[in-house]
Amino acid sequence: MNARKIGLTSRRSLIKWGFLGLGSMAIAALPRVVNAQPSNRGKTLTFNANDIGILNFALLLEELESAFYAGVISSGKVTNAKELDYMRYLGSQEAAHVTFLRSVLANQVIFTTQDLSLNQSTLSTILNSRESILNTSVTLEDVGVHAYNGAGTSMTNPTYLLAAGSIVSVEARHAAGVRSLLGRPTTEPDSERQISDANLNPALNPFKGRAYDELYTPKQIVSIVGSLNLLNNPIDGALVA
Amino acid sequence: MIAYYTTMNFQAIVRNLHNKFSKILLPFMRNFALNFALIPLMLLAFCLSPTAPAYAQSTVLSPRQVTEYALTLEKLEADFYRRAVSAAQNGGLVSAPQIAKDAIVSYGEDEAKHVTDLSAALRSIGGNPDAITIPANPNYTSILGRDPFANAADFLLAGQYVEDLGVAAYKGQVQNLLAAGAAGKPILAAALAIHSVEARHAAGVRFLRQTLLNADVRPWISTNASPSEVIYNENRSGSPIPFSTDAFDGYATRDEVLALLAPILNVAQQPANQSGQPPQPSRPPVQPSQPTPPSRVSTPTPNRPSAPRALW
Repeated sequence: MNARKIGLTSRRSLIKWGFLGLGSMAIAALPRVVNAQPSNRGKTLTFNANDIGILNFALLLEELESAFYAGVISSGKVTNAKELDYMRYLGSQEAAHVTFLRSVLANQVIFTTQDLSLNQSTLSTILNSRESILNTSVTLEDVGVHAYNGAGTSMTNPTYLLAAGSIVSVEARHAAGVRSLLGRPTTEPDSERQISDANLNPALNPFKGRAYDELYTPKQIVSIVGSLNLLNNPIDGALVA
Repeated sequence: MIAYYTTMNFQAIVRNLHNKFSKILLPFMRNFALNFALIPLMLLAFCLSPTAPAYAQSTVLSPRQVTEYALTLEKLEADFYRRAVSAAQNGGLVSAPQIAKDAIVSYGEDEAKHVTDLSAALRSIGGNPDAITIPANPNYTSILGRDPFANAADFLLAGQYVEDLGVAAYKGQVQNLLAAGAAGKPILAAALAIHSVEARHAAGVRFLRQTLLNADVRPWISTNASPSEVIYNENRSGSPIPFSTDAFDGYATRDEVLALLAPILNVAQQPANQSGQPPQPSRPPVQPSQPTPPSRVSTPTPNRPSAPRALW
């Protein structure tokens, strides 16, 4: 597949998901949606092991969530009024997190939204039904909570830490809200955790179990995000090593 | 300062704080709605008072102080849910929908686990969890001005206030724990792991109110939330973090939280509830006229200037 065809595919898929006509949901830009090819994974994202690297990493997760909810709205698969209301709110709040983090990072941001490349077939599968949409929402929100918590003890700037705290509890509210829509428990049962007790970093997790949102390392988060097969971009850097 | 805090229990701290409020504002605190409306004024008065104590909100708390404070909150929350479980079995919450009863049991278990684990954490850093006490019968009636365990609607509203405040309370301590450096990291990790679970509880309670009661509320806190939605100052301005918007949760300092909890925790002035029965829902039993006898703990001397904090 040559570059020109990829470009067309990308554009077509964007239209398919309605990413070009989001109206009030519109954010500045959206990631490309492409058929993943080894030669077309997009820009490599390199996260340094410092506050700026952590904020960029948080931005990546927020971008994924924001793009996901934009796709959800456009998919037309969520029709229940309350569920659609939640999806719209979540999308707008994730977009606000993106805007905030880009504003805080300013010229230290390491990627643009358009640098991100999403896997078309994965997105297509996820957005194919209300059940998979809502369950994927829970997965993304739960992972976001574990990611912010895990990064928290590595941050050095008190304002960044407070900002992360201000965001993570909203992500937890998202997770609990969508879990409630599905009749799933609002707190995360151990059986649903993507990192088992044995694989948790003991220094970060004096407490574990249902009553806690365990701290996952950025490396563990990258592994989970990779398993979702949603993001095409390669990820590296000391933060996730 | 540190010695002061580590040798007195939190009831004494609350009493001390409450006494300072009592002189000015207690006569106004009979009415719950008015109480809410006055919170910003109370906080303002507290900050501006010439006798404002040295432990104002700009003080850095040590990891041990944060842990003692968090354990106080968790003991109170665990007790709150224990009473709700009891009311669900044989009291005002018997007829509550099963989904609400399930949440009460589940969240109560979480809070009890927090108490157990924070107690161990406090011991590990040289503290004594048994010295952190709450009243035998906290005055929960002061939350709504009526018995919160009398029916599901009132319990869930009180639960929303309590859980949202818990989230803000933990968030208000992350910078203190960061300031302690390596010594604060284990407690910071623990606080973060708890903080977002409190947010899940808050969201779960809010969902139940929306779903079961048709309340105009969602799992997250509204933009420019009113005092009838959250009882602390959620809409703090002057920060680069847009706390007043629904995408960002606000925080509360220890002094703010303890001031809000004072009517619940300060039972020195309350008639003893020997029967163990729920308080009568007629009037909030806040006694406006009788000042508490002076605490045996003297007012701390301002021997340590408040460190500037980045907390916004």
